Amino acid sequence: MSNALGETFHAPGGALRRSAVERAANWLGDRGTLVTGLTLAAIILLFSLIGPYLYTASPYAIHGHHALEAPSTAFPLGTDQIGRDELARLIAGGYATLVVSIPAAILTFLLGITYGLAAALSPSWFDKVLMRVLDAILALPGLVVLIFFSALFTPGNLELILLLGLTSWPGLARIVRNEAIAQRNRDFILATRQFGGGTWYIARAHILRVMAPILVVNATFLVGDSVLALSGLSFLGLGVQPPYTSWGGLLQTGLNLIALDPWWMILPAGLMIFLSIMAANLIGQGLLARFGAAR
Amino acid sequence: MSAVLTLDRLSVALKRGRGKPIAVLDDINLTVNAGEMTALVGESGSGKTIASLGVIRLLPRSAKVSGRVILAGTDLTSLTESEMRSVRGRDIGMVFQNPLSALNPTTRVGNQIAEVYRLHTGETDRAARARALDLLGEVGIPEPADRLDDYPHQFSGGMRQRVMIAMALACSPKLLIADEPTTGLDLLVARQILALLSRLRREHRMGVLFITHDLSIVEQHADQVHVLYAGKSVEWGTARSFFAQPRHPYSQALLGAVPRLGQTRLASIPGNLPDPETRPPGCRFAPRCAFREPACETAYPAPETTGGTMFACRRGREINPAAMLDAVLDDPAPIAAPSRGTALEVTRLHVDYERTATSFFQGMIGRKDKMRALSEISFSLGQGECLGIVGQSGSGKSTLGRAVLQMIPYQGHVILNGEAFDTMPRQRRKRARRSIQVVFQDPKESMNPRMRIGDIVAEPLKLAGMRGQRARMAQAAALLDRVGLSERMLNLFPGSVSGGQAQRIAIARALATNPGIIVLDEPTSSLDVSTQALLLNLLKDLARQDGLSYMLISHDIAAVSYMADRIAVLNGGRMVEFGTAQDVLTRPTNAYTRELIAASPHFRTNQPGGPTETMEFNPSTVQPSAV
Repeated sequence: MSNALGETFHAPGGALRRSAVERAANWLGDRGTLVTGLTLAAIILLFSLIGPYLYTASPYAIHGHHALEAPSTAFPLGTDQIGRDELARLIAGGYATLVVSIPAAILTFLLGITYGLAAALSPSWFDKVLMRVLDAILALPGLVVLIFFSALFTPGNLELILLLGLTSWPGLARIVRNEAIAQRNRDFILATRQFGGGTWYIARAHILRVMAPILVVNATFLVGDSVLALSGLSFLGLGVQPPYTSWGGLLQTGLNLIALDPWWMILPAGLMIFLSIMAANLIGQGLLARFGAAR
Repeated sequence: MSAVLTLDRLSVALKRGRGKPIAVLDDINLTVNAGEMTALVGESGSGKTIASLGVIRLLPRSAKVSGRVILAGTDLTSLTESEMRSVRGRDIGMVFQNPLSALNPTTRVGNQIAEVYRLHTGETDRAARARALDLLGEVGIPEPADRLDDYPHQFSGGMRQRVMIAMALACSPKLLIADEPTTGLDLLVARQILALLSRLRREHRMGVLFITHDLSIVEQHADQVHVLYAGKSVEWGTARSFFAQPRHPYSQALLGAVPRLGQTRLASIPGNLPDPETRPPGCRFAPRCAFREPACETAYPAPETTGGTMFACRRGREINPAAMLDAVLDDPAPIAAPSRGTALEVTRLHVDYERTATSFFQGMIGRKDKMRALSEISFSLGQGECLGIVGQSGSGKSTLGRAVLQMIPYQGHVILNGEAFDTMPRQRRKRARRSIQVVFQDPKESMNPRMRIGDIVAEPLKLAGMRGQRARMAQAAALLDRVGLSERMLNLFPGSVSGGQAQRIAIARALATNPGIIVLDEPTSSLDVSTQALLLNLLKDLARQDGLSYMLISHDIAAVSYMADRIAVLNGGRMVEFGTAQDVLTRPTNAYTRELIAASPHFRTNQPGGPTETMEFNPSTVQPSAV
């Protein structure tokens, strides 16, 4: 698990994406992939954000007499070991997961683009310095760094966002740099320089514009990576802290009690993590196919 | 003469998306005889490549093919796919336009050639390797034994194409299909490849189907010519009768569009190739034809002949070719007040390229190799003058353009209006740079594919500080008008215009800053012949009206001869000849210049002779390329 987790920080196109998502994408076709991804994402967002208003049971209320009950009409997804409503917790966990992962992905995105563009458009010596720094950062296993910092202090949402955002950008930075280098000597860039276009203008008006498809695709992948990373942290007890919970945390609680076979505490949370990563990657794949055809 | 290949009423329809099939090739009848070359000529979109793919049955699965393809008595359309696989490579050899993408970059060329032979003959590795060695020698690769284990990237473009030909010849095919094999190559090299193909077909009694957009290149080598336009045959017959008396207005225009020495105006064909979905019901060339009459627009003409070629033109019998040429010539723009100041001066220009370290150790100590790309270049460019810069790839001609444009570092001086760029303060330098503009070879590559054409043309205005999107668009429309394009283009993306239109847009953009000088870096070499003529005429008119100066960089001496007042010949980074166009072209003093001119057929007599052998390979006069 930790291995697969570590990989998602750095390899855009990690194991999951290559196998499950690509097979699904092949089966669904270009259009189907995008539509399925978007539908899944909409369902997950609605579930996590609108859910609390539709299913008003409290995720924190303890029903002592109903500890560890299997799904029933009173508790559609059963209860946990101290009698809290699992469906309510799944919804709350979704909210907590998304509220951290999406801003973290945005932060990663901005950092990655800025760093990558700066490297590509700087004089070559500075590019070299930036890239060696990047190599150094990449050499540290992302998950270990995350564990180290989240062990140093008890992370709140803001800290988690910063932690995830600040450790996940190098992969994107490298993609952006390489793509920008491929673009920067194209004829239309040379022509723009001849009209007096400066580096900043060229980055903004040309390079980012040409790279837009790649960036959009990577942005969706980043959300998936971020959900997975947060779930991993929470699973290790370092993410969202009790009494709040996230999908990763729910999964952990359930697995601790695996001897009692509480499938309703494990399966739904695992499924939500799987589906949200799947949704992000399907959208990414779908966009890739669409932009790929237009490029 | 026995026919190797016969196309009998071959038609192909392709499906685009979910629409109904569109006919891209209509009733083509064509023969290639043993030991002869048939040239299938057409511009992009004519269906010529579809025809070749139809022969080897590599069309997309959705294509609907009818008619017969008979190779040495066998109808290929009746074979199963596995039978067809053994025909490809064994009975039909193929050579494509871009040898670098057709060769596997990770496999030694000897092994690639041997593989084809082994696959089809089942011979041993040793025999296949011996065969590969023979073939490399046969296609004129010097010291073939040493090159057998080289990789494709270690060969030059022309040599790579020879390797491709060796591969195609591996099983001594009856037919060789060469699809634009010379298009990416320098004229000198292109002619060597053609001469090689001519020799091989005679020695092996092999039929060659030579597909090209360039009539001039096949004039001396083809036995039969077959001209396609928009999927239809418009004229066909022996090369001798075709070049002596082309009858179809389209053939005429194609021939007239190639610049010849001393010509003051090029024939050009107005308009564009009709889209396959909206082809005219009658003669497909009618909308662009200067001789059309009402009947042309209703029914496709039946083939006729006057004893020479066959042609599909209602008026082909009566039209006098000379009158025909006159009709397609438009009038040049009047010359504005001629001025004869100096626009630009270049003195003792040197350009070095730093090659990155060749070994790990050199990289460690930061040593870099210097390569001299240009040395001791001096010239001046007059106002309103067009200076032609001629040379092969690697001669440094593009580097010279880039140095003048201040795109790369150089030593020496580039002096604009009496002031050298290297002494200007930064801001002035930036402004001065705007007065030298550039038009690149590939117009689509020179525009951001995600910007609208209006924004592309207006970008220089925006960067020069012009305010207001509406004002800029009005100015962009005016610029488009100057290059003969409609303002309806403002909202399109570059992907939806033709190559010729895209190059006009690039010119309009270059004009936006009111430059005094435009560097034209191979401006027409990615365009079809008829489009090239239109563009050269346009450039000439713009220069006459505005007193623009051009630096025309080209390997195509014919285009340069049409445009240039003076010509500089570069070879291996040095200027080996410099003088007025007339002098350089008619009395070249340098051996290399003479060879360049000899490679361009139209500087010799205009009379079609039988196929003559041009020199195949003469490395002595060609300097090793600098980069």
